[in-house]
Amino acid sequence: MLEVSQLAHGFDRQPALWEISHLQWQGRSLVHLRGDNGSGKTTLLRLLAGLEAPRQGSIRWTLTGAMPAASPPCPGRVLYLHQQPYLFDTSVAGNLRYVARWHGWRGNMARDRVAAMLERCGLAAHATQRARSLSGGERMRLALARAWLLSPRVLLLDEPTASLDRQAIADVSTLISSLHETGCAIVLSAHQPSVLTERCDEYWCLEQRCLKVSAFKQAVAV
Amino acid sequence: MHELMNTSREALHLLVSLDPALWEIIGVSFRVSLTAILVALPPSLLIALLLARVAFPGRWFAISLVNTFMAVPTVVVGLVLFMLLSRSGPLGELRLLFTQRAMILGQILLAMPVLTAMLHSTLQSIDQRAWETARQLGAGWWQSLWVLIREARFGVIAAVLAAFGRIIAEVGSAVMIGGNIEHFTRTITTAIALETLKGEFAQGLALGLVLLLLALVLNVLLGVMRGRGHQTVSV
Repeated sequence: MLEVSQLAHGFDRQPALWEISHLQWQGRSLVHLRGDNGSGKTTLLRLLAGLEAPRQGSIRWTLTGAMPAASPPCPGRVLYLHQQPYLFDTSVAGNLRYVARWHGWRGNMARDRVAAMLERCGLAAHATQRARSLSGGERMRLALARAWLLSPRVLLLDEPTASLDRQAIADVSTLISSLHETGCAIVLSAHQPSVLTERCDEYWCLEQRCLKVSAFKQAVAV
Repeated sequence: MHELMNTSREALHLLVSLDPALWEIIGVSFRVSLTAILVALPPSLLIALLLARVAFPGRWFAISLVNTFMAVPTVVVGLVLFMLLSRSGPLGELRLLFTQRAMILGQILLAMPVLTAMLHSTLQSIDQRAWETARQLGAGWWQSLWVLIREARFGVIAAVLAAFGRIIAEVGSAVMIGGNIEHFTRTITTAIALETLKGEFAQGLALGLVLLLLALVLNVLLGVMRGRGHQTVSV
C-alpha cells in the first residue's frame, strides 16, 4: 500500500508544483494519472519511485517499508519507466540478459526466462537486433519486457503511449493490461485519453496544484 | 636530395630487415607506454567519474586544473620527477632515476590529465537515464558503474588512444628521467634525438617512420571510435 502525506515538491525556489495532503492507495488498480503539460506528472511518478527526494512530506510504501530519499529502494518492486525508455547499447536479448545477470540468474534458467519474455512481448524475432534500432513501440515493449522479468509489484509509467502510432499504442496497451492481470499495480500518466486510459479503473488528476482521486471518473479532492 | 634518398632507403632496410637494435628500442617504447596507460587508466576513470557525476564544492576548479595539466610541457614533468628521484631528492632512496619505472611514472603523470579530461567529457555525455535504469532494474553500484563504462566504451577507447599517442611521442621526460641508456631506457624519441646529434640519420628516420605510422593508425582508430561514440550517444 502507498501512503503519501503532506507532500509538496517544486524546483529551486519556485513555488510548489502541487501539494498533496493525504493519499492512500491499495496498490492493486490500474491508475490513470492525468494533468496538463507541466502539471508535474513526471515529477510525482519520480518521487513515488524514489528517484527524487520530496521538498517536504513523506511517501511510504508498506510493501517495502520506509522509502529512503532519492534512491530506488526496492529494485524490481516499484519500477519507474521513462517516457522514452533508456535501452542499453546492446542487442534486444542483451538488454534482458543484463537484468538476468544482476539478479543472479545463470545458464539455462536465464536463457529460458529471457526467451520466454521476448516471446511474450512479441520481440522474439528481434532478439539479436540492436535495441536502439527498434521502432518507438518496440522500444517501449522491450522496456516493459525488461521490467516484467522482475515481476514488479508496482509499475510507474510515464506517458507510455506518447508519440506512438495507433498500432503501437494497441500493442503496448495490450502488454500493459496483461502485466496488470498478473497482479502488478500500474500508475500511468497521460494527458490525452486513449484506448489504454479507457481500461483504467482509477483516476488521479493533477489540477489546480492538488491531486484529485476518483473511481469511475468522479472527482474527489484529496 | 641524393643523401636524403639514400638515408630513406637505409631506414626502410633497417625496418624491413627487422634490425635487432631498432626493434629493441621500439619494444622498450611500447612496453613503457602501454604499462603507463594501464596503470593510469583506473584512477583516471574514477576521477573522471567523480567529476562527471558527483556535485561537490570546487568541482569546476578541479576540472579546470585537469585541463591545465593537459598542457604541462613534458620537460617540466621530467624536471620535477628528476628533482624528486635524484639521489638528494625526497624519493632518492627508491633508486628509480634512469630506470624504466621512472619513465613509466613520468608517462603516467602525462597520460592522466589527457585520460581524465577525455573520460570526463565522455561520461558526462552519457544519459542520466542509463544510471537510473540500471539501478531501478536491480544493478548494484559497481554493476551500474560498469554499465556506464560499457555505454561509454567508444569514448573510453578514444581517450586511451589519445593518451597513448601523447606519451609514446614525448621526449622531454623520457630523456631526463630515463637517461637514454642503450638496451635499457632508450626509446624511439630519445634514440631519434641521439642519432640525429651523432649524424646517424638512417636509424633516426626509421624510428620516425614508426612514429608516423603509429600516429596514422591511432588517428584512424580515433576517427572510427569518435564516429561510433556519436552514434552511441545519440539515442
